[in-house]
Amino acid sequence: MYYNYQGYPYPIMRKAAFLCVLSVSFIHPSQAQNAPGKIDLSDPNMVFVGESVIPIPLEIFASLDKLGQQDWGQEIASRSIELDTNRSRTAMLFGLVVSEGFIAVQAKDKEAVKASGREVLRLAGSLGVAASVEGHANSIINAAGRGDWNTVRTELDRTRQTVLDQMKDLRDEELVDLVSLGGWLGGTEALAAVLKKNYSVEGSDLLNQLDLVKQLKKDFNGLPKRSKRGKLFSQVSKTLDHLESLMQSDSSGAISEGKVIEISLATSNLVNAIYES
Amino acid sequence: MLLAAALFAIPLSSVSAQDDGDLKILDDIKLLAQKMALPELSGDNPIILREEWWSGSIEPGKAKLVQVQLFRRNVYRFWLAVPNEAAGLNMNLYNGDGEIVSAETIAYDTTNVVSTVVEAESTGIYYIRISLKTTVDQPEDWALIYGYR
Repeated sequence: MYYNYQGYPYPIMRKAAFLCVLSVSFIHPSQAQNAPGKIDLSDPNMVFVGESVIPIPLEIFASLDKLGQQDWGQEIASRSIELDTNRSRTAMLFGLVVSEGFIAVQAKDKEAVKASGREVLRLAGSLGVAASVEGHANSIINAAGRGDWNTVRTELDRTRQTVLDQMKDLRDEELVDLVSLGGWLGGTEALAAVLKKNYSVEGSDLLNQLDLVKQLKKDFNGLPKRSKRGKLFSQVSKTLDHLESLMQSDSSGAISEGKVIEISLATSNLVNAIYES
Repeated sequence: MLLAAALFAIPLSSVSAQDDGDLKILDDIKLLAQKMALPELSGDNPIILREEWWSGSIEPGKAKLVQVQLFRRNVYRFWLAVPNEAAGLNMNLYNGDGEIVSAETIAYDTTNVVSTVVEAESTGIYYIRISLKTTVDQPEDWALIYGYR
């Protein structure tokens, strides 16, 4: 059942009719009007909506591919996952596995995408949200078999979003942050690894994510202690601090090759620790 | 038709990043924005719509800022919608220093939806400034969706 913006049930057929009737009759371009040329972001009267959404790896990969085709296949890692009772670790693993799926899509590797789809389902089961993910996971596996990359891409993003939504519904806010962190980490590890092998000033700009790291760090630091007990989570904290110092670009927006190598090493070490702990 | 079907297949429990902190069921405002986005989601160089979105309520004459990380060389497109067809909207993009970014605004035959398209000149945090014109006197619920290519 759909609900309208006032919270009342909204029948699907009415929804379909609503969409069919509405149509764009014309579009015309125009420049910004009635908008200030500069705003003071530190003004306490500014009203900010929530926080920045975490980009999915494909957004970043798409930009890098515009500089030339990259060998994303080299970044696909076939790792086995041994689950334990630590739901915080499982949440980060979920984010990591979804990011592995995105890397596999970029590499157009059918078997790796299918493996990610199966692993996504297993991890969703461990997090108690399998029922809402099952359809998406099956779509990922089937679409990968057909080489339908657009569908795989869409379903991976939906899987990620569905799990985040379910966790919000279940008031598992801390797991939401950890899934986001895991997904970002997996994408950043792959990006840094590709840039390390084929460094370019233009490409390094994509690691200019200082504000995003600050937000992830703030979210992580704000988690209750029970959600981050153990050695692994102190490594997460230290790595985020380290990445914050590394993702400082120069005046042109570039990140030096040395920093790219360090980012690659730091993210890779943390990803390995999450898989192996 | 396939694209329309794909939009309908969006999980019904989808919720957005909201400014009131509460969870909200997928609503017809988001679907209105998606309807306007539909022509851009196909063809040789389609926009890839993200599943994450924002929503909330806004008062006439007031503005809100939505923070978003953009990546250089990507083209981003945003669609903002409110339910009241008498409402008018502004949407502009600012960089991390608070300076307005040159972007193309797409107007539709209905003023309660507006779209902005921009190619990010650098990677970093940007702010989408949304405001509700005083053509209406009551607050409006709003939905903001985006995609990239």
